This record gives sequence, C-alpha cells and structure tokens, in this order.
Amino acid sequence: MGSSDVIATPGHGAGAEASPYGIPSRKLAIWLFILADAATFGAILFAYGYLRVGSSDWTRPFAFWPSIANGIAMTVILLTSSLTMIVAVRAAAAGRTAAAVRWLGSSALLGGLFAALHLREWFSMIHEGWRPSTNPLGGSPLFGATFFGITGLHLLHVVGGVVVIAVVAIALRRGRLHAGHVETAGLYWHFVDLVWMFVFPLVYLMNAR
Amino acid sequence: MDATRTHPEPRLALYVAVWAGLLLIVAAEVGLTYVHLPVGTRLAGLLALACVEAGLGLLYFMHLRFERAILFWSLVPTLLFVLLLLDHLWPDALRLQHLRPPTP
Repeated sequence: MGSSDVIATPGHGAGAEASPYGIPSRKLAIWLFILADAATFGAILFAYGYLRVGSSDWTRPFAFWPSIANGIAMTVILLTSSLTMIVAVRAAAAGRTAAAVRWLGSSALLGGLFAALHLREWFSMIHEGWRPSTNPLGGSPLFGATFFGITGLHLLHVVGGVVVIAVVAIALRRGRLHAGHVETAGLYWHFVDLVWMFVFPLVYLMNAR
Repeated sequence: MDATRTHPEPRLALYVAVWAGLLLIVAAEVGLTYVHLPVGTRLAGLLALACVEAGLGLLYFMHLRFERAILFWSLVPTLLFVLLLLDHLWPDALRLQHLRPPTP
C-alpha cells in the first residue's frame, strides 16, 4: 500500500469512519469490478456449456499441434506475467520505482506476446474458413460463435490490461502514480489470468481431437 | 485469513512455488485431456483442476489470503451464488439433445 493510500480511521474528519475491509477505496472498487466481470465471464461460459451440451453435432477441431500446443504456450506466458506483476507490486511497495517499472514492462511484454499468439491463432482459423457463423468442418456453426466470442472478450481484457500496465508504468516513473495504483493494476491482471484458467480447459482442451 | 488485520508480505519464494504449482496443474489438465475418459468425467476433472487454480490465484496472486477475512466472505460467496443460480439451465440443454429429428 502506498503512502498516499489513506484508510479512513476514527477521528479523521467529521464524516470519516473505519473501513471494515481495511483497504483503500480504490482497491475495494477493483474487487467489485472483478466480481461483476467474473459473473459476466461465468455467464458466457455457462451459455457456451448450454450450447455444447444441447448440440448433437458439436465440433472438436483442435489438434495437439498447433492448437493445443499454442494454448499451452499462451497459458505459461500468462501465468509468468502474473509472477512478474507480483514482483512489480512488491518493488513498488518497497519504493524501488525503477525495478517496479522494469517488471511492469516485463508483464506488459508478456501480455503483448499472449495477444500476438492469440491473434495468430485467430487468423489461422479464419484462413481455414472459421467464422462466428460458419463451421468449415460441417458441424454446428455455434462453435465459431462461442469460440470467437469467449476468446475475443478475454483478448479484449488482455489488450486493455497491457494498456493499463503501460500507462501505470509510465506514470509511476514520472511520479504521478504510486504503489497503490500498481497493486490495483496487478489485481486486474491476475483476474485476467484467472479467467484464462477456465477458458483454456473448457474451450480448448474440451474441444481437443 | 485473519479476521481483524492484514498479514505482513510473504516471501517471494512462496509466489514462485504457487506459480510452479499452477504450471503443474496445467500439465495435469493437458494429460487428463489425452487419457481416454468419458466426456463427463473429463469435464469434471478439468473443472476441478481449474477451480484449484482459481483458488490458488485468488488466495495468493490476488492476495486474498492475506487480507481481512470479511473481504473474502463479501466477494466469493456472492459469486458462487450467482454461478449456482446459472446452473438451472442444464436440464434444458439435455432436453435439447432429445428434440433432434433422427438423421436420415
């Protein structure tokens, strides 16, 4: 928690009272956002499950090479970016700004690599004829709709996270933001990682040939 | 979880161990995928492993283990309740399979 992260305590102003959570309002706000976003991802994964269970001709298009291998690489990259984010948060909390900026940069680079691998896979599938409404293998066209919908929403979160991390790193170096902001960005980034922990087995591994 | 105060920051080695554990779980998921199992069994196994991963991520990477217990109890049961309510759609998904006309 940064030096400017003041938690309201009794006696600090007429309207102030102690936070029951013992965390700054910024951190509570990101937790509430994460809760809402988790419900959103939960709903679309349930919708995917509904369509998959209800379809008698569901397609399982992913061979180990390249699709599943690519998914494993993406998973390792995202998990590693969470570790570098933890190091960045610790460095920022310890006042080691230069180190925090470097580790934030590492996290953003790994996030960018994840997005690049994901987009490469998308373009490869589109080249094979996959579309949100088209299945080139002849099975249910709903596979494309759910695959591009779920992974697209997650990819949007990854790209947004990379932008946020880059902005926080630049502002931290300039002294405009502090360790509390790094921690908040870190919570969001770990959440994006956590969502992938469900997308990879349910969307990729359950559709492996 | 402590009900009244936050813990001191744990050592970095703990996070590295959690990261390594998560990688092992991913390896187990991939291994489970290529073992010949009924679809339902494979799905249950993958979901169980994913929930363990999510738990480790929440407790350690997202630091919930070291925050006040009230934060955990305010957030996690709420989400689980929402996901539980969504479970009402499965009987209809199973019903859809039996509505298909026979293949000519």
